[in-house]
Amino acid sequence: MLTADLARPRIYHRSGKLYVRTIKPNDSTWQKTAKELIELFRAHVDQPVSAWTAALEKYESDRVDYLVLRGLAKVLRDEADYVARTGAISSTDLRSRLFASGPVLSHQNLLHPLSRSEILAEVAQEIGISHSQIELLFFADLPAEHILIDTGPEWTPEALIMRYNLELSRAALYWSDQMIVHIFDGYQDFWRYLKLFKLMFWAAPITSIDAKGKEQAGYQITLDGPISPFVQSTTRYGRQLAGFLPALLLGKRWRMWANIQLPNNDKKLLYQLDNRTPLTSHFKASGEFDSKMESSFADEFEEKFGDKRGSWILTREDEVILLGDTVMIPDFAITHKKDGRRAIIEIVGFWHPDYLERKVKKVRQAQRSDLILLVYERINLSKEKLKNIPSEVLYFKRKPVLKDVIGAVKRVAVETVTVETVAVEPVAVEPPDDSNE
Amino acid sequence: MHPSLSFQGGTLVLYDFDAHRDKPAQAAMHPAFQWIKARWRCEAYHYPQLDSWLHSMRVRDRVPCWETLPLNFQDNRQPHDYQIEALDAWQNAGYLGSIVLPTGAGKTFVAIQAIQRVGRSTLIVAPTIDLLHQWYARLSNAFASQSQSSQSKPVEIGVYYGAEKIIEPITVTTYHSAGDLIAAHGNQFKLIIYDEVHHLPAPSWGETALMSPAPYRLGLTATYPEVDEQHRNKFDNRWRIEDLIGPIVYEKRIEDLIGKQLAEYRTERIRVDLTTEERNLYDADYEIYVEFIRKHGLHRSGGANWYLELMRMSTRDREARRAVLARQRIQRLLASSEAKLDALDKLLQEHIHEQVLIFTESNDAVYRIARRHLIPALTHQTKAAERKAILEAYRAGEYPALVTSKVLNEGVDVPEAKVAIVLGGNAGAREYVQRLGRILRKVGNRHATLYEIIARKTVDENRFQRRRAKEREKEKAKEMTR
Repeated sequence: MLTADLARPRIYHRSGKLYVRTIKPNDSTWQKTAKELIELFRAHVDQPVSAWTAALEKYESDRVDYLVLRGLAKVLRDEADYVARTGAISSTDLRSRLFASGPVLSHQNLLHPLSRSEILAEVAQEIGISHSQIELLFFADLPAEHILIDTGPEWTPEALIMRYNLELSRAALYWSDQMIVHIFDGYQDFWRYLKLFKLMFWAAPITSIDAKGKEQAGYQITLDGPISPFVQSTTRYGRQLAGFLPALLLGKRWRMWANIQLPNNDKKLLYQLDNRTPLTSHFKASGEFDSKMESSFADEFEEKFGDKRGSWILTREDEVILLGDTVMIPDFAITHKKDGRRAIIEIVGFWHPDYLERKVKKVRQAQRSDLILLVYERINLSKEKLKNIPSEVLYFKRKPVLKDVIGAVKRVAVETVTVETVAVEPVAVEPPDDSNE
Repeated sequence: MHPSLSFQGGTLVLYDFDAHRDKPAQAAMHPAFQWIKARWRCEAYHYPQLDSWLHSMRVRDRVPCWETLPLNFQDNRQPHDYQIEALDAWQNAGYLGSIVLPTGAGKTFVAIQAIQRVGRSTLIVAPTIDLLHQWYARLSNAFASQSQSSQSKPVEIGVYYGAEKIIEPITVTTYHSAGDLIAAHGNQFKLIIYDEVHHLPAPSWGETALMSPAPYRLGLTATYPEVDEQHRNKFDNRWRIEDLIGPIVYEKRIEDLIGKQLAEYRTERIRVDLTTEERNLYDADYEIYVEFIRKHGLHRSGGANWYLELMRMSTRDREARRAVLARQRIQRLLASSEAKLDALDKLLQEHIHEQVLIFTESNDAVYRIARRHLIPALTHQTKAAERKAILEAYRAGEYPALVTSKVLNEGVDVPEAKVAIVLGGNAGAREYVQRLGRILRKVGNRHATLYEIIARKTVDENRFQRRRAKEREKEKAKEMTR
């Protein structure tokens, strides 16, 4: 991520709204610069960071856009690998040894009879390394002397610029005390990354009706941290919100607002983004299926009941069961094409005992009679452990028997319960005419 | 499931707690708790108040993760009466509150005694990294001495700040880093000591006191802030120290706890010339820089922040950028010009049998000198353990010289030196004066010398002249008030 000094000058506000001055990825001048920086960086593999810093300074020359250059360079550096030179002795110990023989002066005298090279030769022999290795190891632990051993991914100029734009957009959140989002899909990834960035959430269901009259169900989620409710306003979690942003970009339909308080500025600013943004995410989306069991189940369903063959539609992870400070996202939902009756399905396979216990706890808390648990026989989940749970439980030997599952669905599916939701504006999908720059 | 209380990111959270389950009537919920995001939560600093309530509601306390420290040391130093009084007052107040003692009154010793009395994992919060290092060194020495007497292993002191994150039962951190440390590990410390506690009211720093469950807190300072209650408005989001760690439990305002011994010292300016090559580079850059400043009248219009204004202009205006770069090149050149290094060498020849401290502007210059002369280097990049070892060896006379860049600063122990050498004197006048005072304040340093190596016909001289002019003005003012 970018440091505040590289990001702050590219952030401005107008009429209470905050904007980020990104650069156009298809701009030929910037592409040329990006290309040159990438090549210059790659040319510095196996050299110390100080050499790269010097080369960058030379490249910058007197350009006034040096902050953007440094931003691009920071992106390159963050994705690269560095390591301190090592040898037969640690740098700290070597220094200790050398300083004990010092100080060295240009003229020898009675108290200090040895010259610098003589001292180094002596120490070198003592330790068993060469004179030149001493020079290399002397301050090898300093960050500036770390060696660039891997220059990172194969950047294209466009990709580098787009990543820089993302980092700028993230950095605006450093000064945020809260974020609110509307999401309509990608729930699994959203909550997975929330957890990774240690953010706290509060969610409520929402619906929106788009231009075609189609209803979209989703969630409004407020994001902040543990201490937020107890203080007037805190930007303590700004970095975490910034870290999290690329996860939001994985969804297809979403919008977000963040309250921003810039340093030395009393005004409360609003920072807005939605799925029309040209920003892209480098986070990994979870694969189509978490496990083979799930993918097999979906495949089999498609084979037997897909298209016009059956009267049920199988969807994946499109419902979030809100359980206070945590959520449960069942693997599948199955909906009747005609009357809209619906049931949710969770496949319980080979899980770590702790994970299983947490999951069972959630299922119990959910108290959903329209939930069907498909439990793999070989794991240790007896009926005893599932008492006081109104959900239907089916055990299977190798794979779930689809016929039985459909039977269970018919028993427990309910007509969509009118959940109290808030109506919100639909999120458009077409990008707007002009971008920020 | 048994109800329990856990520490989470600076808050306390009740799990598996049903207010109506165990008691028939509406249970008395402790007022500290709030129902937030479907759980009862409160700021961690309410922890001590919850004790009896947790007991009566039979809630499992999963909060404390602090250790008992195997401390049983005998210190040879005799504590002063006022130190004992202060500690007793603090102890009687339930190990909560602030002790106000003048500078030099041995607050470190008070802190060590406090840790000893509590005997549990402790976190010390210091205002700067330099002070963090000083605490590290002093605590290491105080508690390392035990390993000789007892069977147990020596108490390791942890440090938690940007460059190093080592958590031990006794850990030192900075106000800046305390938040992250406490959010993740706050329940590992039973005692928090806030050094220079007058810094605590700052908005994001005071928050950290809210986030810690430590029942024992000690604030140390020489200058307790005056809070004018009538004039605090609702937009003031600064904290009150009393709310966070307790009131002042002891205060001592003695004018001179230790006699100030102003040693006599002499200052010597050594003027050197730039080499021909350096001179050419310098003159060219100086011209670029000064021309721009003059043309835009920056000194006048920008006021004290003229440099910030120049930096802002440099992102839009090419000439401004060139001026900034020229200034940077000048500073680099002056930091370690050849002639300055030669002059340094000569001074070292002369004074190498005495204790010498070398100050220079840039880290690069420090490392250059360290390499060339095999003299220990101290910069902000030096880790705590190495820094401690270097300073101790220097004090013990094992290293006759030390080279550093603005690392030994206000409030930090600068070891005794007979000779101080300042290269370039680029630092602000205030820092310079402080350094002067520092080496000389120590005991019995008669005829200590401060050398300043400056390059002729460069900004070194202008700065020096400005400083002298300021000094003369001050002296004049003093004369007039007598």
